[in-house]
Amino acid sequence: MSKTYEYVHEPTLVKGDHDFKSITALITDINLRPTPKAWYAAFGVANLLLLVMLVSIAYLIWEGTGIWGLNTPANWGWAIVNFVWWVGIGHAGTLISAILFLFRQNWRTAINRFAEAMTIFAVMCAGIFPAIHVGRIWVIYWVFPLPNQMAMWPNFTSPLLWDVFAVGTYFTVSTLFWYVGLVPDLATVRDRIKNGIGKKLYGIFSLGWRGSNRQWWTYEKSYMILAGLATPLVLSVHSVVSFDFAVSVIPGWHTTIFPPYFVAGAIFSGFAMVLTLMIICRKIYKLEEIMTIDHMEKMNIILLVTGMMVGFAYLMEVFIAWYGGVEYEKAIFALRASGPYAWAYWLMIGCNVLSPQFFWVKKFRRHIGLTFVISIIVNIGMWFERFVIAVTSLSTDFLPSSWGYYTPTLWDVLTYVGTFGLFFTFFLLFLRFLPMVAVAEVKNVMPQADPHNYDEEGNYIAPKVEVPEPKRES
Amino acid sequence: MSEEIKQNSYWKSLKELSQNEEYKKYTEREFPEDASEMTDQVSRRSFLRVMGASIALAGFASCRRPVQKIMPFSRMPEDRIEGEPMYYATAAPFQDVLTGLVVQNSDGRPTKVEGNSEHPASEGRTDIYDQAGIIGLYDPDRSRHIRHNGEQASRDQFIDFASSHFADTGRRIAFLSEASSSPTYRRLRQSAEERFDNMSWVTFEPFDEEESLEGNRMAFGRRLRTVNHYDRADVVVALDNDFMNPFGHKDSVSNAARITRRRRVRSTDDTMNRIYAVESTFTNTGSFADNRLRLKASEIEPFIYALAARLSQQVNGLEAFANLNNRFSGHDWIEAVAKDLADNRGASIVTAGEQQPAAVHAAAAAINLALGNINETVSYLEVPHQGEESSRDALRQLVDQMRAGEIDTLVLTGTNPVFTAPADLDFESALEQVDTVVHLADYVDETSRNATWHINRAHYLEAWGDGYSYNGGRSVIQPQIRPLFDGVSEIEFLNLIATGEWADGYDLVRQTWQEFIEGNFEQRWREILHDGIDSRDNFAEADVSLDGGFAAAISPHLSNNGIDGIEITLKPDATLYDGRFANNSWLQELPEPMTKITWDNVALMSPATARNLGINPDRHLRDTDTSVVRIEADGQAVEIAAWVQPGHADDSITLTVGYGREGIGRVANGVGVDTYPLRTSDALYVKPADVTLNGRRYEIACVQDHHNLEGRDMIRKATIAEYRENPEFASFESFHGFEVPGLKEGREQGIDHPVTLFQPQDYPDHQPQWGMAIDLNACFGCGVCTIACQAENNIPVVGKREVGRRRMMHWIRTDRYYEGDEENPKALHQPVPCMHCELAPCEQVCPVAATVHSDDGMNQMTYNRCIGTRYCANNCPYKVRRFNFFNYTKEFLTTGDDPEIIQMAMNPDVTVRFRGVMEKCTYCVQRVNRAKRKSRLETGSLKPADGMVKTACQQACPANAISFGDLTDNESTVSKDKENERNYVMLEELSIRPRTSYLGKLSNPNPDLG
Repeated sequence: MSKTYEYVHEPTLVKGDHDFKSITALITDINLRPTPKAWYAAFGVANLLLLVMLVSIAYLIWEGTGIWGLNTPANWGWAIVNFVWWVGIGHAGTLISAILFLFRQNWRTAINRFAEAMTIFAVMCAGIFPAIHVGRIWVIYWVFPLPNQMAMWPNFTSPLLWDVFAVGTYFTVSTLFWYVGLVPDLATVRDRIKNGIGKKLYGIFSLGWRGSNRQWWTYEKSYMILAGLATPLVLSVHSVVSFDFAVSVIPGWHTTIFPPYFVAGAIFSGFAMVLTLMIICRKIYKLEEIMTIDHMEKMNIILLVTGMMVGFAYLMEVFIAWYGGVEYEKAIFALRASGPYAWAYWLMIGCNVLSPQFFWVKKFRRHIGLTFVISIIVNIGMWFERFVIAVTSLSTDFLPSSWGYYTPTLWDVLTYVGTFGLFFTFFLLFLRFLPMVAVAEVKNVMPQADPHNYDEEGNYIAPKVEVPEPKRES
Repeated sequence: MSEEIKQNSYWKSLKELSQNEEYKKYTEREFPEDASEMTDQVSRRSFLRVMGASIALAGFASCRRPVQKIMPFSRMPEDRIEGEPMYYATAAPFQDVLTGLVVQNSDGRPTKVEGNSEHPASEGRTDIYDQAGIIGLYDPDRSRHIRHNGEQASRDQFIDFASSHFADTGRRIAFLSEASSSPTYRRLRQSAEERFDNMSWVTFEPFDEEESLEGNRMAFGRRLRTVNHYDRADVVVALDNDFMNPFGHKDSVSNAARITRRRRVRSTDDTMNRIYAVESTFTNTGSFADNRLRLKASEIEPFIYALAARLSQQVNGLEAFANLNNRFSGHDWIEAVAKDLADNRGASIVTAGEQQPAAVHAAAAAINLALGNINETVSYLEVPHQGEESSRDALRQLVDQMRAGEIDTLVLTGTNPVFTAPADLDFESALEQVDTVVHLADYVDETSRNATWHINRAHYLEAWGDGYSYNGGRSVIQPQIRPLFDGVSEIEFLNLIATGEWADGYDLVRQTWQEFIEGNFEQRWREILHDGIDSRDNFAEADVSLDGGFAAAISPHLSNNGIDGIEITLKPDATLYDGRFANNSWLQELPEPMTKITWDNVALMSPATARNLGINPDRHLRDTDTSVVRIEADGQAVEIAAWVQPGHADDSITLTVGYGREGIGRVANGVGVDTYPLRTSDALYVKPADVTLNGRRYEIACVQDHHNLEGRDMIRKATIAEYRENPEFASFESFHGFEVPGLKEGREQGIDHPVTLFQPQDYPDHQPQWGMAIDLNACFGCGVCTIACQAENNIPVVGKREVGRRRMMHWIRTDRYYEGDEENPKALHQPVPCMHCELAPCEQVCPVAATVHSDDGMNQMTYNRCIGTRYCANNCPYKVRRFNFFNYTKEFLTTGDDPEIIQMAMNPDVTVRFRGVMEKCTYCVQRVNRAKRKSRLETGSLKPADGMVKTACQQACPANAISFGDLTDNESTVSKDKENERNYVMLEELSIRPRTSYLGKLSNPNPDLG
């Protein structure tokens, strides 16, 4: 005896009355239209911030890391916090495009393109910090294993060296993956653009794409392979970043929970950032029908899940500190909650653990304003998580005599704020010149792309599947 | 200058040009800009002349080599090896005592001072002032010229003036001199007295030995110097006496060495002395004591009378105090201390601090006499250069005479009375009534600015001199370099005035010493210069008995009961003393040994007093500033930052002097607050005052922000009784109640360390293997290790702002923790250098392998490879790594117009570090390697004999707390120390195997005092 089930009809991913042509127009017209004035205004602001960053870095190199608020117990401060934070943000894009791709989550198509762009720009912002925070930036190349006459290699036991490789690999693969996905869409823009120079440039970068069956086949295989390659990197890059802390002996750093905890936190903050950007972009570029409330709701569920994972990690850390019985470990967690940096700790708990709890309620999950606010709160919270980890552990470690408070200076703040300039400069250029939604992929998940399950009138008929009744031993 | 001459304007005459500011600055600078381009004008002949002179003088006083042109010696002087330093014996004068030194002279310039082991006041050790002498010598702000009415003058002009002015021997001449023990100086004083008919001589030091001399006069009828033999005493009662610190006592190095010798417990059979400290402010001696009672400084007097009264019931000779009854009679402490003293007759010392009144010293002397301590633990010396009259009265008389216009010429040597004399004397206005004022000084200081003639003084490292140690050991001071700024030594100066003719210091000293040397002068002279000491006991030991008038003399004091309400205590500063070291950057940046404050003086008060004034004694870790209080006494007021000192006596505020200077130099100017205005001649040290909160806040740079050990095991201690019961008290297991985690598993694997994942970085087959042990039972936290390390290892000074941001660069710091009750805690000291871990966490995390292990077990830092990620410093559990956040060395070494001067202070064997690299203690690797080379040459073995290598910190330590040596040599001191059951390492559970270990602290408290 078997039973016949009917598939539940999933809501369509693209709302509104769209066919392939209108989708193409909706997305690529953004690139083909004359540049709006508002874009110039935003680009101007972003450039100004970029200038702030460049000036801050120039002054830093001229004067030395002393311009920051670093001191002897807290030899790392905002620079490392910002690095981990930006790398964390850079997690969402590749996760959305690679992991969700492998899991056949079709809703990813609406957001994967600009989430990946965000990833690449965030990793660029992140990469700046480890480079500039060193005392002698002019010899930073010594961290690379370059053959030299002294046979002097870097120290392969140092997690900072692993960082160099992990972040470098992640950036390379993410960029490749993003670019491969862009090729068919670049060809679309090439075909539609009137401007001669534009046509040439898009032509060059679309690598002679003609949309032949053979090309599609190659494209999809390579996309799949890159997704397979990128997937472990999503997990490894933040695990390796967490080793910077976990491999040390400092209480509050030296914990085995760090790799999964960091990855969960990174996804958490990355999704929050995607949400923030998505909510703005869909409004401005009128893409509400592609980036729908359904998408937002799905992402809010991920926020809720990862937020809870992070919350669990916070609890676990405290539990293990108590259960492990190491006095310095116990002390550091007591100090985080009640010591000189208690304000940062409770801010972190409030932002990361409490604020996503709204998303238990469907109404809140689908509320644009609330989602926007919480996505920003989460990113503030995640910045403070890294601050709490990096700074509190250093400032109150083993010997009470060396305890000291860390306060950032104006230059710490300006350098951080300046990286937003870099990020938004690139992001605005991306919005302007590249299709911000993967046109070909969105078309792929539209009902029109599926030749089956329609009656003669073109109405959808849910497929029926026979499932055998499970055998029961009586 | 009437009309202003603009820069670049035309000048009509040379005179006008010379008034041009630009030109003036140019001529005043010793090394003008573009000097390197002007070298062609230096003729070859003059160059050879300079070189010739330097070779000729290399035997005794090495010379500065010319800066611009370096030529190799055409003939190498004998015994000279390029790069190998020479060592010369000399001595450092401080007030009227000498400490014997051995000075390391690198390529003709002194670079490091070390104690002279032959010298009785040093025994190879030094104090912070001795160590900082190097930077004092190379201070570019020292006065460089003779000045006449503020204008630069030449030495010839001064000689002309002196020979004509002082030819009139009938003048009313007064000499105001610093304290000096020099026999040459004394001889010249006598010749001046013979020459001038109307002269007077006053010796003035703002902090002197006067009270104890007067106390001894009260007790014994004679002004005698007290010498306490702390190594012979079982019980020491220190009353407001920080005798282990150089700002507390002139013979502190010897005191500290002697008292710690009685605490070198190496087995449970060893005994230990017992120290009682009764004091107002928390001093290092107080923290070292076994029992400490905090009393206001003015309450010490009734305390000692009560003690004497209690003792009079048990011993004879204290009848003067019998039947006395005051607030301390029957006090627990009186009973307990009196019992202990009575049980240790002939083996105890009662001693009072120099800022206690004469009557207290008299009472202490009477107690020592009654207890039979005299000639056992205490002796009294007749010191010829200390006159028979009180210098206080003499100074007051002199100022009265000056004000009355009776003084025609005032000659001042060294001392700076405009700054330091009691405020009520108003020395500055009295000075205006004197026609001619001649002042010999290191800096163009407050007095010099009011003087007719300012003579720039030579540093003791650049001039000949002589003198006596505290106990009467006679030495010659031999210069290590020709005077950098053509300074004049005090004997040359005095000779010029006393004879009207110039003579070199060398000849003057030798002339004096003709008297001391019998037989072959040249031979003995060379021996004395070589040894740094002539004869030891030149001061006669006095045979004392209680003066008949003692009871009558002391009786009016017996009713003194201390000051009611808030009192202030004025003390010399820990690092600047009376202000003489104000421009010494090493001392300014040396943390005050108890408060750990740098670059400032503060008003110290107890937490309770602070609360009464409305100051919250609890500080948040982020607080960098503190409340400012207004202290008013006798119509004078100062506003100064308040600092809560746990363990301070209530209703008492300690102030230190020497700060708040202007126009002295780049280091001293504007640092701290001048508290001298509160000092008046009727109450030099202690007086009542009104203290109010003034509402302002002031930033303080303190190197330690958290003062509680939080129950952690960094310092492990026990009483001697507990130690005898459990000799292993310092082990991890004794402290925590369980074994070091992983040790069991380690033992199963056949190693006696906890198991580890890491490949051990010690090379057991390589010999030697270096290690260090620090005896916390000897350390009293004076900080001389820090400054010795700074001198040896070219550590830059970073300034108050950087210290305030916790970026101090000292490679060895002394942590100080308070333990117990906030009002009356114990203070524990712990020097922390790099631990040289065998499994160093810093080495594992450096991405470029800039910090690595050496074969002989040292954690080494390769500056050239360092890129400055600071990861190593983060991963250092002891936080001993120091980072060059800015180009500190460059800033430090390019100060002023002629940075060549301060650069001469650098040790040529140690790399100076640039911006962006990490640095830390190296175990003085340059000394280790020199010893290895020497050993290789002498014995063929790369294993230097035990004691051949001494690290800078170890060598300077007056308490002999640090041992360093080869761990593969089972007979070495450090191996023995490490085998001692008190030996432990910090953070053993991290399994990083530090090579520096500690010997647990012991104490011997009186059980009756709980």
